[in-house]
Amino acid sequence: MTHQGASNTDAMANFDPNTFRYVDINQGASSAYSSLNTGVPSTTAPWTMKWADNNSTLNGVAPSSSYYHGQQNESLARDNKDVTDAASQAVAVPSLGTSHGPQEHAGYSSYSSSTDTYGHDNTGYQGYYNGYHQQTSNTYSQQVGAYQTSGAPYQPLTSVDNSGSYAGSTSYSNTYYNTGDYQTTGGYPSDTNNNQSTSWSDGSYANYPSHQYSNYSSLDSNGAHNSSTVAAAPLSYEQQYKQWADYYSHTASDVSCAPGTENISATGASAQNTQTPGSYFQKPSDLDPVPYENSQDLQKSASPQRSNSQYPLHQISQSYHSPIQTVSSFDARRVNKVQIPTNPRIASSLTFGLPKTDKDSPTKDAVTKPAYVSVSLPKCDTKVLSHDAADSMLKPGMFPASLRAYVERALARCKNDLQKTACQTIMKEMITKASADGTLFTRNWDIEPLFPLPDMDVHKDISQKSSIVSALPKYKRSPSRRSKSRWEPLPEERLVEKLTPVNQASVKEVSWDFVKEREQTGSGGKNESKEEGWSNAKFLQSQQQNQSKNSQRPFKKPRVGDTYSVSENGDASSDSEKEQGLTAYYSGAVALANTPEERKRRESRSKRFEKGQGQRAEMKHFRPKSAGSGSLYTKRASAMVIAKSYEDGGSRPVEDIDWDSLTVRGTCQEIEKRYLRLTSAPDPATVRPEEVLEKALQMVLSSQKNYLYKCDQLKSIRQDLTVQRIRNELTVKVYETHARIALEAGDLPEYNQCQSQLKILYAEGIKGCHMEFSAYNLLCVILHSNKSRDLVSSMARLSAEAKKNPAVKHALEVRAAVTSGNYVLFFRLYKTAPNLNTCLMDLYVEKMRYEAVKCMSRSYRPTVPLSFIAEVLGFVSSLQTENNDEKHTDVLEECEEWLRAHGACLIVDNSGDMQLDTKASSSSLFMPEPEDAVAHGDANLAVNDFLTRTA
Amino acid sequence: MAYISMGEAHRRITDYLNRFSDSIFSQDALSLKQLISISSNSSSLLSLADALNVFQDANRLVKQSDRFSQFGEIVVPLLRCLQNYRINRLAEAYNSFEKSANAFLQEFRNWESAWAMEALYAIAYEIRVLAEMADRELASLGKTPEKLKAAGSFLMKMFGALAGKGPKRIGALNVTCQLFKVYFKLGTVNLCRSVIRSIETAKIFDFEEFPVRDKVTYMYYTGRLEVYNENFLAADQKLEYALVYCNPRSEGNIRMILKYLIPVKLSLGIIPKSWLLEKHNLGEYHDIVLALKRGDLRLLRRALQEHEDQFLRSGVYLVLEKLELQVYQRLVKKIYIIQKQKDPSKAHQVKLDVIVKALRWLEMDMDVDEVECIMAILIYKNLMKGYFAHKSKVVVLSKQDPFPKLNGKPVNS
Repeated sequence: MTHQGASNTDAMANFDPNTFRYVDINQGASSAYSSLNTGVPSTTAPWTMKWADNNSTLNGVAPSSSYYHGQQNESLARDNKDVTDAASQAVAVPSLGTSHGPQEHAGYSSYSSSTDTYGHDNTGYQGYYNGYHQQTSNTYSQQVGAYQTSGAPYQPLTSVDNSGSYAGSTSYSNTYYNTGDYQTTGGYPSDTNNNQSTSWSDGSYANYPSHQYSNYSSLDSNGAHNSSTVAAAPLSYEQQYKQWADYYSHTASDVSCAPGTENISATGASAQNTQTPGSYFQKPSDLDPVPYENSQDLQKSASPQRSNSQYPLHQISQSYHSPIQTVSSFDARRVNKVQIPTNPRIASSLTFGLPKTDKDSPTKDAVTKPAYVSVSLPKCDTKVLSHDAADSMLKPGMFPASLRAYVERALARCKNDLQKTACQTIMKEMITKASADGTLFTRNWDIEPLFPLPDMDVHKDISQKSSIVSALPKYKRSPSRRSKSRWEPLPEERLVEKLTPVNQASVKEVSWDFVKEREQTGSGGKNESKEEGWSNAKFLQSQQQNQSKNSQRPFKKPRVGDTYSVSENGDASSDSEKEQGLTAYYSGAVALANTPEERKRRESRSKRFEKGQGQRAEMKHFRPKSAGSGSLYTKRASAMVIAKSYEDGGSRPVEDIDWDSLTVRGTCQEIEKRYLRLTSAPDPATVRPEEVLEKALQMVLSSQKNYLYKCDQLKSIRQDLTVQRIRNELTVKVYETHARIALEAGDLPEYNQCQSQLKILYAEGIKGCHMEFSAYNLLCVILHSNKSRDLVSSMARLSAEAKKNPAVKHALEVRAAVTSGNYVLFFRLYKTAPNLNTCLMDLYVEKMRYEAVKCMSRSYRPTVPLSFIAEVLGFVSSLQTENNDEKHTDVLEECEEWLRAHGACLIVDNSGDMQLDTKASSSSLFMPEPEDAVAHGDANLAVNDFLTRTA
Repeated sequence: MAYISMGEAHRRITDYLNRFSDSIFSQDALSLKQLISISSNSSSLLSLADALNVFQDANRLVKQSDRFSQFGEIVVPLLRCLQNYRINRLAEAYNSFEKSANAFLQEFRNWESAWAMEALYAIAYEIRVLAEMADRELASLGKTPEKLKAAGSFLMKMFGALAGKGPKRIGALNVTCQLFKVYFKLGTVNLCRSVIRSIETAKIFDFEEFPVRDKVTYMYYTGRLEVYNENFLAADQKLEYALVYCNPRSEGNIRMILKYLIPVKLSLGIIPKSWLLEKHNLGEYHDIVLALKRGDLRLLRRALQEHEDQFLRSGVYLVLEKLELQVYQRLVKKIYIIQKQKDPSKAHQVKLDVIVKALRWLEMDMDVDEVECIMAILIYKNLMKGYFAHKSKVVVLSKQDPFPKLNGKPVNS
């Protein structure tokens, strides 16, 4: 089945080469395969292996391989066996199915581009697209689950896929499906594909068969069949299989127009049947006989050029398929039910794993994307733009939002079409470059300088110098996309929708430019290059889809658990609608504000913004993904601002908004708020303004609750301060309070966070208890870092004035006592410590005591009285002993216990006093394992603590 | 600035360009070095700089002739640097110099022999010095001084070009030393580690084959690093190497080495002669040495306080502070000697009271517990042989060698 994807794409791109290859395969089964795989050397070996033992654990894979075989021999029976094998391998199968998704989709996406080129009806396609989306959403999470369980098998499969399908364009297969990528990202990240793929797989069931059919590419059909079986799972398979057989005969008779491909096509048809028995027959009848013939011809003639002409065909078939699609999705649902038992676990892991994935995915993309992005960029763009509204959901993830913004910016400057084309060329090159060296996703496009606007006469020989390249990416960021940046405001949706049609038209023009260009290059150059372009485009598309799916996730994350599937259906679709409107509106807005002056102003504005917000720009890197598909939060936050700006002056362009005003102003009046790490733009309704925060701080200070509660509250206060960019004495106070509370609780990690923030705040000149905290800082260095260089430098940094401060002075004395090992001095200082110096010293007490006892046992003879040790080593609090003898004995007991715990030998002398036998002890002392030690090194992360925190 | 005619300016510039290309064609590294040493303020360079400020279009001159233009990437920014340097636009001067240096390094990589090593050294030096100047300028303008950091990364690049096999490796140590200077100045000493590793682990090139001056510099800096790590034996060894091989006429360098070597030696129980301190103007150590000799804790503390800033900045403060134990040892030893003169039979029993009294005479107000603790530490650290009897509050000293000498060994810690 893996090959299915491969063959599919092949069929699209290099149809003829493939057929040749298959012939080869017929002759020498396994060996032929390995030769196919040469494009991806690493995968060859595993592949052949699997081929060899069909019934081994890797059955899931093997059957697919044998598919080809079966085809070649046209022995359907064998095929079936293999399939059943696959089915029985319950775990492996789902993964296979999912892995298909992207591939199939890839094939699918190519249609869309072809649609444009050939002037096919867009609307039909769009509608289909939308409907499709909704259906798939159901399958989503479950499929993911399926995928996850079989994480391992997935990798080899994909690689195999590539090798098959992309034998022609090696570079592509290497980069995109680089197995390494999947591995490094770990189990979950691959999900990104998966989520994608699942949704698509539904679609592809539908699409897939149809286009195979038209092509007569048996290989494709096989793939389709495979996927269907996979989805169906063992039980359902049997049934389907029967149907399949039935339909097979039908198809065979119907389709047998192409001499060479007869049998093959038959299989293809049957594959379709399995999925959508009823609808199958419609297709042939509906289809225009003429294109049909065409496709046959194409195959025979095997001319790469004509492979283009296939596209319209696909298109047609596709549109016919919508009914099928529903059916298949239905199937998929059934499958889901079957799989559900395994899901809960996965779902939970989903929730936790998500944050990571999000972070990972960009990097992964960065690696995977480049090769194909480069060539196919224009393609994708055309699609993106032309389907503006319908596709909007899927687009944002394609390229980083920043990149899109950049492209947009760049294009906005163009005065006329000529210039625009020139810019496009430049940017295309830039993206190509950027993606080739992998910086596409790592580069900060927001601060990337725009390339100089090409002169009319010069623009032809614009070289690919890196400087230009670096400027390019923005092209992608079509106006519509811009709206999705987290920091950009979104207007009310209603307003917008009216504008849509016009905009779409204009946008289309742009896209057309590209298409034309593309074609020119294609026809001007070699045919091969064109093919490559196409095939790439497919992948691009698939990737794009992946991305977009991806991008949705962060925003859904918070509610993952129960609402997952629901939100998929409801939110996702409605979101997409909104998005459509929005994007359309924005493209319109840009078109309106296209005067040169406006452009210039906008440019400078956006630059200023980017510089001012370095930090945010960074965030953006991850953010846009979430914001892209319309984070509700973003909308809420920015919609407010936008609304305001509209009041100010209706005609004011979006870009005129003062970005500073976008800083959240909280409206929440509740004093108490739990800390929750933000995963999206802050919602003003949940952010407390400064006055409330002040009250909240007072509340925490007077609270009698435990540290965990206080810590939680303070963290949420800090968060609110941060998102509102409040940096004043209140901020200092909050951090100081938190630092103190953390010190009291011995929570050093939290303390360190506060301390480092305080350092910055003090450096900004905000008043606070600077001295107190420089004393803490000093103690921290003394007690926790063994490097004398750190110590010296932090001492050298103290001002003369600071050295006079009692707290700092105390800290310095402690330092002296520690470096000289003077335990007497240390414990005296311990008793007289100002502020919370004691808390920090506490952390050193154990070590100091141990050293002291070691020293004593070495230098004292014959004995040392316990009372002396207890006093010297700080076991005795002198105030207490004066009043209370009982306490004194308590202290002695405590000291004795401590000494015994450290292996000291204690004896009782004649007068009945406890003594330390120094000679005996000198060899028996040891440092006991700390009782509260935890394997992960941080007792704060202990399970119990965690539970109390979450409870 | 004296008036220079256009013709004169033109002449000076072409003259410089001629000399530049000649020195490369004849592989004359020394004259090339002179042409590159911007900060040397040599008269010829200064007059050239004046000429450049008169005759603005020097680039044209470079481009006109094939002879010059092949080095255009080096020379053009170099001239611009000189120009900016002359009018005290140091940050810009640095930027141009870095451009020129990059181009030069590129050329240098292509030359098979290491003839231009001297010129490369000059570049390594110049880029650091110019970066320091530029940073001072930037800091005074309230901007972030970042040029030295940039120079550091350029030098790292240069190190990369030299660190491989072949004749050019001989220059690696020099660049390393420039890097050390940058890192010590920036306070990013930990970055030294990677460079040190590549110098010390490379077996293909014996350390002794490097030029002496570079070896001395290298040992000085690595010795300082060992001081930071409180690894006194290694520090002693390295700094002593530096001292022995240092050019005896480089008074400043010797003093710099001694500044670290003396505290290290002191901590190993080796006390310098007072004439050494005087000769090298190291008065700050005078009192400390005296305190050690006398067992005068008060003097030590005073001396430390007096020069605290200096010692903290050079990083020897903690080393000197640790001498305190040796001062205590000296004090007890003195008491012991006095007791021995009075009554040899009871000399090995030193009463705690006596020590407390002695300390009180030194205006060190310490109570019995604290002194007891110090005695315990002295015994524990093997500065004193014997034991402490808590009941009778007496230090009982061993009859044999009660105050063992350190003799070049660090105090047990």
